Amino acid sequence: MTSGDANPSLPYLVKGGSLVSCVASGGGRGGILLRLLFCLALPALASADESAWRTAWDGALYAYAGSTALQENSVLNPGNQFAKLAQRSESAEARFNLKLESEALRVSARPIVYYQQMHHSSGKTYSHESYLSQWQARWRMAESWSLSGGRELLNWGPAQFRSPSNPFYFDNGRSNPMRELSGLDALRLAWSPAVSGNLYLARITGSGHGHAVPDPWANTWLLKTDWRGEEAAIGLALAQTGKRPAFFGAHAQQTLGEAWLLYGELGSSTRPDALMSPADASLPFVIERESARRSSGLAGAAYTLEDGQNLAAEYLHYGHGYTAGEGRAYFARAATASAGLPSGNSIPTLVQALTAAPPLLGRDYLHLVWQSSPMESSGYARVMLTHNLTDGGNELSAYGEYSVNPHWSLFAVGMAAGGGAQREAARLLDHMITLGAKLSLP
Amino acid sequence: MKYLSAFSCAMLLLAGHAFAAPDAHSILQLSDRARGGGLPGIVWEIELTSRDGGKVDEPQRLLVKAVDDASVAETLEPTRFKGSKLLQVGRNMWLTRPGLSKPIPISPRQRMSGQASNGDIAATNYAKDYEASMVQQEAVEGEACHVLDLKAKHNRATYDKVRYWVSVRREVAVKAEFYSVSGKLLKTALFDYGNTIEYDGKRIPFVSKMTIRDALIDAETVMEFGTVKVKKVAASEFDLGQLQ
Repeated sequence: MTSGDANPSLPYLVKGGSLVSCVASGGGRGGILLRLLFCLALPALASADESAWRTAWDGALYAYAGSTALQENSVLNPGNQFAKLAQRSESAEARFNLKLESEALRVSARPIVYYQQMHHSSGKTYSHESYLSQWQARWRMAESWSLSGGRELLNWGPAQFRSPSNPFYFDNGRSNPMRELSGLDALRLAWSPAVSGNLYLARITGSGHGHAVPDPWANTWLLKTDWRGEEAAIGLALAQTGKRPAFFGAHAQQTLGEAWLLYGELGSSTRPDALMSPADASLPFVIERESARRSSGLAGAAYTLEDGQNLAAEYLHYGHGYTAGEGRAYFARAATASAGLPSGNSIPTLVQALTAAPPLLGRDYLHLVWQSSPMESSGYARVMLTHNLTDGGNELSAYGEYSVNPHWSLFAVGMAAGGGAQREAARLLDHMITLGAKLSLP
Repeated sequence: MKYLSAFSCAMLLLAGHAFAAPDAHSILQLSDRARGGGLPGIVWEIELTSRDGGKVDEPQRLLVKAVDDASVAETLEPTRFKGSKLLQVGRNMWLTRPGLSKPIPISPRQRMSGQASNGDIAATNYAKDYEASMVQQEAVEGEACHVLDLKAKHNRATYDKVRYWVSVRREVAVKAEFYSVSGKLLKTALFDYGNTIEYDGKRIPFVSKMTIRDALIDAETVMEFGTVKVKKVAASEFDLGQLQ
């Protein structure tokens, strides 16, 4: 069915009062928006030719076990009293993809069921959760227009290490490689007039599964545009959360010949409740309700060898990170607080240092990647080295996956940090390894 | 009398033009249509099987939507890659998989499988990407063919030089040889046309199988094209932000 078929039935729905009652049955802000989308899409559902509907599903079951060597001399997490990190863990996870679609309407969902058993020095703890990591109902209203609502990954940009052009997913999922990123609750109006470009406006109503309290993105508008040429692509993003200063982001990539890819990302933003670390260690931490505007930028280059292996180098300047002096003072304050436990201001100082610090402590980073061909079906491997140019610390991490047969794969993830307890990379962990198996369904 | 002679000459010239053999570009343009080029959009399923010496790769099944120089190929099989998508817009390429944090950009050197270039799974627009010149006529398996030399108009073309055999009767390409800039033969391809599409009120033979053999090593990839549909593909299908 076409979008033209869907529209004529809409007035009937509105005349009958169903639209009003349908929307009115909603709950909060996000609920109303999503119900409005559902009501708008209802005519498409009602008049769709049933034979035009397609359904699909697939899934994967994961079982993995991890061992983590904590940093013994950590000044931020002495005796693991604050971060309470598990030394060993066993996890089981099921991830599914469900899809129902016609020409005009597409409904998809990615439910996840997760169970983890963690071993601490003090004993075992368990956690389990079932949630929709992503879901979306998308209605193609006209040839170039679509309206979607759900929990979507609003992620973009070519960078691997961090994504300074994105206000929501700066981390790119690097902090926990075993858990996949969850989407943002959003309603999106997209205009795609040509293959070469598109524009969308999104109203973000929440940060999705497992969000922080208060929700940092509960009241956000996002305007995003992309342009794709023959060998280049550019994207611009503008995000506004409540009355906070706006976020500006841009990303670009250029294909050079057969093998080279050059790319970059830029972002300009403020940070709420930002922990400032004066370079004079005798001064205390300061939390600024809204930090000064800072700019961050990443430049990268990737080269593909004849056999598909890929080498990439990325340099990141992170404007919200600490300078070398500020970074030293950050750890010096933590060391003083750690030595002074449990009295005085030690506990609040360490809690602040752990929870309100910028997502990256340093200003400048070099990230090197080797990976096997991502198109190869028999297996995949990646090795990443991150050098913190501000404090001199290093992190080496690797991922490997081997396909035993069309359904079974084995995988391993490892990380080793260097530079000592008073450098970012090794401040909490020394090394970790996870081994697991994956069963693809059906 | 003078005017009559001039008129007669002009008529003869026109007649000569009208009955001249079709030019290389027109032949190429017509043959592209049987491989998806010049159509408003095309949706097809491709089964890829590759062999490198004695080693046979796992078969792949893809759902491809293509228009002009844009295509999106969604993996249907093997199961563990189901839902992976490869988006090409010009020479920009991105790969995404369910669970991946975002689409990752990849270079044109990354290949789908075996001997198949990414350009081979998309609609063929050789008339747009290559300068064609007629070399001769030659029979391929008893079928008279125009032999065309194709030279890439720009560095965005999949191959630098192609020698292309187009059936005189069926106006479809039946054989291709792909060369490097230095003139070295890289691979050869044979095409079958067991499919038929309806377009512009006509039934047109359409590619059903492409067999690509490496000229340097003992390796072969077979691409079988099924459930071919000619339909306009919305631009949003190639929107990176809506790919996942």
